[in-house]
This record gives sequence, C-alpha cells and structure tokens, in this order.
Amino acid sequence: MKMRPHRVWAVIQKEWAETARNRGIVWMMALIPAVIVLMVLGTDYGFVWAGQSGQDLKSVNMPVPPNLSHLPRHEALIIAMNEQFFFYLLLIPITLPVYIAAHSIIGEKETRTLEPLLASPVSTGELLLAKGFAAAAPAVVINWMAFSIVLGGVALIAPPAVLGYAVRDVWIIGMLLFSPLLALFSVMLGVLVSSRVNDPRTAQQISSVFVMPLILISLMVLMGKAFLTVPLVLAGAAVALAADILVLFLAIRVFQRETILTRWK
Amino acid sequence: MCSILRVEGLTKRFPAFGKGSHETLAVDAIHLEVQAGEVFGLLGPNGAGKTTMVRMLCALISPTAGRAWINGFELGPDNDSIRASVGVLTESPGLYRKLDAVTNLSFFAKLYGVRDIAGQVDKYLRMLGLWDARYQLAGSFSKGMRQKLAIARALLHEPPLVFLDEPTASLDPEAARVVRDFIEELRGRGRTIVLCTHNLDEADRLCDRIGVIKQKFLCIDSPARLRRQLYGSAVRVRLEKLAPEYANLLRGLPFVKQVEASDGALIVRLEDPATNNPTLVRVLVTAGAGVRYLEELSVPLESVYFDVMGQQDQDVRQEAKA
Repeated sequence: MKMRPHRVWAVIQKEWAETARNRGIVWMMALIPAVIVLMVLGTDYGFVWAGQSGQDLKSVNMPVPPNLSHLPRHEALIIAMNEQFFFYLLLIPITLPVYIAAHSIIGEKETRTLEPLLASPVSTGELLLAKGFAAAAPAVVINWMAFSIVLGGVALIAPPAVLGYAVRDVWIIGMLLFSPLLALFSVMLGVLVSSRVNDPRTAQQISSVFVMPLILISLMVLMGKAFLTVPLVLAGAAVALAADILVLFLAIRVFQRETILTRWK
Repeated sequence: MCSILRVEGLTKRFPAFGKGSHETLAVDAIHLEVQAGEVFGLLGPNGAGKTTMVRMLCALISPTAGRAWINGFELGPDNDSIRASVGVLTESPGLYRKLDAVTNLSFFAKLYGVRDIAGQVDKYLRMLGLWDARYQLAGSFSKGMRQKLAIARALLHEPPLVFLDEPTASLDPEAARVVRDFIEELRGRGRTIVLCTHNLDEADRLCDRIGVIKQKFLCIDSPARLRRQLYGSAVRVRLEKLAPEYANLLRGLPFVKQVEASDGALIVRLEDPATNNPTLVRVLVTAGAGVRYLEELSVPLESVYFDVMGQQDQDVRQEAKA
C-alpha cells in the first residue's frame, strides 16, 4: 500500500478548508466541548462555594469512592464529579468526528467532486487515511483544549487536592493516547460506512451503532462496575490501535471506485 | 507520429444490479489508435458508452475484456501512472464550491505532484480568463466559469493526453465559444485530446478524426473523408455565363462523375477536389469560360451522423429478423 505524504497532506488541508467553511460543523464542534467545560467548572465552583460557606453537603446523594473519604466532603464530591465529567471529555473525539466522517465520501459524491478526485493519482489508502485524520484531528485538539481549560479552571477555583486528582496518569494517558486512537477508530468506521451507503444520515446512524460498545464500557465505569486504571487505559489504547489499523485496511478493501462511480445515484 | 492511445478489444459489461435488471453491455470490443497531437471526437447518443469508455481509459473503472495502452502505460498494471499522466474533464465540473478558484486548483496540483504550483495555477487562471475571479468561491461562479475552472484543473499537470467529456454541454453560446476556442488553442499547441460531444458542429470544427460509437465504433475517420465516403465530393462552379458546352466539356474529364446545372452554377461531383480542382478550372478557362469562383460543397456532419446511426439501426433490425 503506497502512502505518499504530500498527497495525504493535500487532502487533509482541503478537508480542513472545507470544514472551516461549514458553519454547522464548526458550531457543533465548539458547542459540545464548551458545554462540558462549563458543566465541570460550574459544578466545581458550586461545591467549592458550598464548602466554603459551611453548607451541609451530606445530603448530596452521590457515591464517593472510599479512597476519598479522608478528604473534606466538598472536595471528595468535586473529585467524584470530575471523574465522571472527564469521561465525557474522553468521549468527545468519538462522537464529534462521526458527523464529518459520514460526509467524507458521500458529501463528495453528492457535490460530484468524487469523480475528479478518484481520477487523480491519489490512492485509496491515501484518500481514506487523509479523510480519517482530517476528521479526527480537530476533535482531538478540541478535546485537549477542553481538558486544558478544565485543568486551568480547577487550578484556579478548586483546592489543590482536586487538581492533584485531575492530573493523574490515568487521565493524562487517556487524553493524550487513548482519546486520539478512539477518535481515529470512530472516524475510520464513519469513512468505511460512508463509502458503502448513499446517504450521510444512514452513515452516521450505522457508525454510531459501532461506537455503542465503547459508550457501554464508559457507562460501566461510571456505575462503578469497572475501574479506570493506567493498565486498563494502556490496554484500551493497544486495542484501539489494532482496531484503527484493522478498520483502515477493511475500509481500503471495501472501497470500490467503480461501484461508487457507477451505481450511486 | 506515434500512438499515444492504443485500444484493443476493450469491452465493458456492467453486471445486473438489483431485481429485474439485466447485465448491460456498455462498450463492445472497441479498437482504436490515437496519434500524438490528434484531436479525436467520440460521437454517439446518450448511453452509447462514451463516458464509460473515457472512465476506462482514465483508469477509473476496469474493463471486462481487452487491453489498452495510454501514454505508454498499460491499463490495469499501470493504473496509477495512467491517472497521473492524463487530464480529465468529467461530465460535471465537480468543483469544491466552498473553496475559491486558487484553492481548488492548488489542491489538484498537489495531488498531481506539480512542482511549480503557484506558477501553473496562475498560468491557467490567466489563460482561461479567470484571473480576476481567482479568490471567489467556485460556488459563486457561472456555469461557463465553472467549466473553464474544471478545464484548468484537467491541464494543470500538463498531461500529454486530455479527455474532455462534453466540455460545452449546458453552456450558453458565448461560454461555449470561449471553451471551444480554448480547445482549438490546445490543439494548436499539439495537445492530444479525446473529445466526447453531442455537438456535431463542434466535432466538425475541432476534431481531426471522429468515431461514431454505439457500444462499438460504427465508423472512424476524418469528418471530410466520412463525407466523401457517404456522399462523394462535389464542387460548385459559378461562371460568368452558364453554357451547356461547359457541362459537356467537364463530363469528358476522367475524374468527373457527374455534372448538373443548378441555380445558375455547375455542380460537379468528382473524386478528389484537392487534386482535381486545378485541372477543372484550367479546362474551363481554356474553353473561354469566365470562372467567378469555385467552392467545395459541404454536407453537414449531422447528415453523416444520422446516416451512420440509421444504417446501424437497420442492420440491427435485419439481424433481429434473421
């Protein structure tokens, strides 16, 4: 499989230029992380304010892990809440780029730009990798920015112990390693499905179904049925990497230039 | 002259797709050779296989049978090289409407590995009169401008062979003329062009040879030779005074097939006007006829086209009866 970086980069630049001019996508990409950041910092500030003003937080019906029982009640609650919110942040790169990826092939077909593109010397591997990366990278960067803003906010408004829990290895590795690999997986699925169906909505729905198992795992963690640890995150990253490569190869195999050009109406 | 495009028995069958559909024979054992610098016109009705043939020759879809060599590369094993060495204007311009003209062209220049991207983009934007609109979004362009931009995209990497699929379809006369003039300019520069068109006047004006296709080639030749084959050649000789002895004199010439007087002039059917005309004029002048002018009578290419298509329909009906 030939991969010429200048062609991959050219497609990525084009995809980004087009995405930047699509206000709907830009707003959606900015809005969801902004809402999560506001939720995290708003909740943290609320608990800090409640703790400092001497309010009784025992009535807050929220399970706090035993390893946090030595901390003041409001700090323990903030940390427990943040753990959940960080999981939402981790899921941003899975959910956001699916929309872009679903449009990646079908959008080109709908605007009749696919034929000149396929007539160019770009290979299927280069095209799909570029489209996948172009959709995943903005979501990952947005995710990192959101996480950085949250950490900055926590450092400003919350007690030092809370920040200490927020910058734990598990989250740093999760955000820097696991999150991009998950994003790529989600996007490559979108591209794969998008090259086999005729309608972007169908592509979004089908790729969402494939992402469901990951969301189920996250729910298990939130319910305390599973625990997020460094080995677990590293194992997850390894599985995600293998899945990324597998899905890319699968996408290249099922991408039929001829079928796409002659049978799609 | 060397052939830049050679096709041997190229066939494309599309398999049945869904219930009630049948296998479709789109292109049937086509043979073709196009020389470097030639403009070859592909004429035929809708569904005749023109676009399918262009797609096969651009390595976009694979043939069911047959072989082809494009720019010295063999279709199949060298598809990547073929795609890099040909330019193609697809049926629809297929531009990124949210990107400006420069970005549209630069993107393709990068894909084709053009070295001087800015230089090539500038050159073709100027050549096609799009320089002033270079930073406008392609979506805001008129149909003619879009078509010109798509032609620029097909030429950016200076391919020796260019496929133009209906370049003037759905353009207003003015835009169509600009595009035709540009194709003529390319022809003058020695570019090899395969032109798919429904516009017979366009084919007549631009093409060195044409091929009338309906799944297979019904005829291939230069428009002039096709006319000659079907209708023979004729010239109209306008004389100062039309006298019957002049017609009789011409009838005695070995290359003259028929002479008739019409509308105050002599219509002379002969073998080859280019060779025979000087003798014809000399004979008339020697006999004392005042020759005002002589012109070759041209049958519109449309008549040739419909005759060829009509003959093919007749053949099909006879085959069916048999």
